[in-house]
Amino acid sequence: MKKKHLLTLLAIIFTTFLVIGCSNSDDSDKNADGDKKATEVKTKIQFTGSSTLAPVIQAIADDFTNKYGTWDKVDSALPNKDIEININSGGSGEGAKGVIEGTTDIGMLARGVKDEEKAQITDPVEYLVGIDALTLAVHPENPILTIKDDLTKEEIVKIFSGEYATWKDFDPSLPDEEIIVITRDIGGGAHEVFQEKVMGDVDVKADAIQASSMGALVTKIMENKYAIGYASFGVANQNEGKVVMLKVDGIEPTVENILDGKYIIQRPLILLTSGKLDAAEQAFVDYILGEEGQKLVEEMGFVPAAQ
Amino acid sequence: MAVLTMGLIIFYLIESSLPAFLEINAGLFDPDSEWRPRSANPSYNILPMILATLFVSFLGVAIALPFGIGTAVFLNFYVRRKIAAFILSFIDMLAGLPSVIFGFLGLVLLVRWFETNLGMTTGECVLAAGILLAVMLLPYIVSTSYESLQKAEKRYMYASLAMGISKEHTIMKVILPAIKKGILASFMLAYGRALGETMAVMMVIGNSPIYPRLFGRAQTIPALTALELGSVEYGSLHLSALYAANVVLIVILAIVLGTGYFLQRKLKKYDEI
Repeated sequence: MKKKHLLTLLAIIFTTFLVIGCSNSDDSDKNADGDKKATEVKTKIQFTGSSTLAPVIQAIADDFTNKYGTWDKVDSALPNKDIEININSGGSGEGAKGVIEGTTDIGMLARGVKDEEKAQITDPVEYLVGIDALTLAVHPENPILTIKDDLTKEEIVKIFSGEYATWKDFDPSLPDEEIIVITRDIGGGAHEVFQEKVMGDVDVKADAIQASSMGALVTKIMENKYAIGYASFGVANQNEGKVVMLKVDGIEPTVENILDGKYIIQRPLILLTSGKLDAAEQAFVDYILGEEGQKLVEEMGFVPAAQ
Repeated sequence: MAVLTMGLIIFYLIESSLPAFLEINAGLFDPDSEWRPRSANPSYNILPMILATLFVSFLGVAIALPFGIGTAVFLNFYVRRKIAAFILSFIDMLAGLPSVIFGFLGLVLLVRWFETNLGMTTGECVLAAGILLAVMLLPYIVSTSYESLQKAEKRYMYASLAMGISKEHTIMKVILPAIKKGILASFMLAYGRALGETMAVMMVIGNSPIYPRLFGRAQTIPALTALELGSVEYGSLHLSALYAANVVLIVILAIVLGTGYFLQRKLKKYDEI
């Protein structure tokens, strides 16, 4: 008896599933049709790449989303859907890889695009968002300023690697005080630029002070006469008068010299895509390169690309 | 639930640190190498950070303990109950302050004091971090030892006074020895707290991944993690090495708290006899 009951039960369950299954498939077909119409314009943008650029794009995206909320408010031709901008930071390499493999819409790179990367992308397009430039900053009373306001690349390497331990080592006329070298965290983006453009294969000395933010780094320099560190151009400029920016190989760090590439301690912040942007992407990229976006780029300590 | 969360955290930490333990292996504890995760020839020696963490925390507790017990004795024996309760709640408030505020004060007061008065070119050092930690740990030590002092007072004070022994002598020779257990408990609690302190220490210790000296810069494991985790590349050996450093930290924590518990139980048995 029991077995019979069980069978009936099973039969009922299966039939139910069958019926539900059929009706479901009908529904989903309809839905798919509806979706197709809606997704003709994509409403979700995926960014992947540089951890230097990610917070900048994130800030602009927050600003953008708060201002508009849905795409149709950006442009009436776009659908009435929530603005969705996803940002993944995983390094510039990941950004380029994402564009090559088609797993991301827009790649964020804190370096130039390599030729072999370009070769793998159909119709690569680059947008320059801003420039990340570092200046060598010291206290206005730093003894070095009594003899010069210009360092060669070799001198910088010797200071940061610890070959010159005291200011006296640098020049006999200077006081016998330790050179306090201040860096950002060695793994971070700012240090990467400095390592690449100045230090090359030489490591920074192990007893350098690592500051947890650009603000902390500049504060430390403002407080200590014997300190030297690389401050981002934006932050150093905000504290003009409290820190002095040194020339590098005779080139003064100014917006003009940075933009035309004469000043060497810098790197471009680039958005990389394959082919033409669709309408929603274009709207957001326009916003990044527009006045509001560029203002945020500057606020975060970078040199805006559109001057 | 708490056990499950803890278990999951430990499992995740160990799983993520496996690549580092397998690939870097002894290089994680090689005293001849350095911590240079992003160098052209990367090396991942976490030994300086382990020692610095132990050293700074010990320094903090060692400085805080006498002050903390002194405060507790004063509050319990020399101040009226109501005022003591008021002061105690004030001290407890200290424990609730965000550690970044301590760090900031340490930076502008302590570090600068080292620079102007000790003739140091820059004041960031292990001692500064130790003193700062001591201030932060005070509330923990005061409140735990205050509790055990109250218990000991009820048990011994009147008996001792009745025998004509002075209050001070009773405190020194009877009460304090009686609360050894409580002091040890507060030592362990404070030490555990100190091991994990991140922000305040990070702001005054200089964050140089070198072996710690009293007046030299150093870097603790939590500071190292907080500093480098934000910019580390996902899936890299560097990230795995950071996890490995934190596995070591958890093992140390387990040992510290475990010994504390073990000693406490031993003392308890001794008390009962």
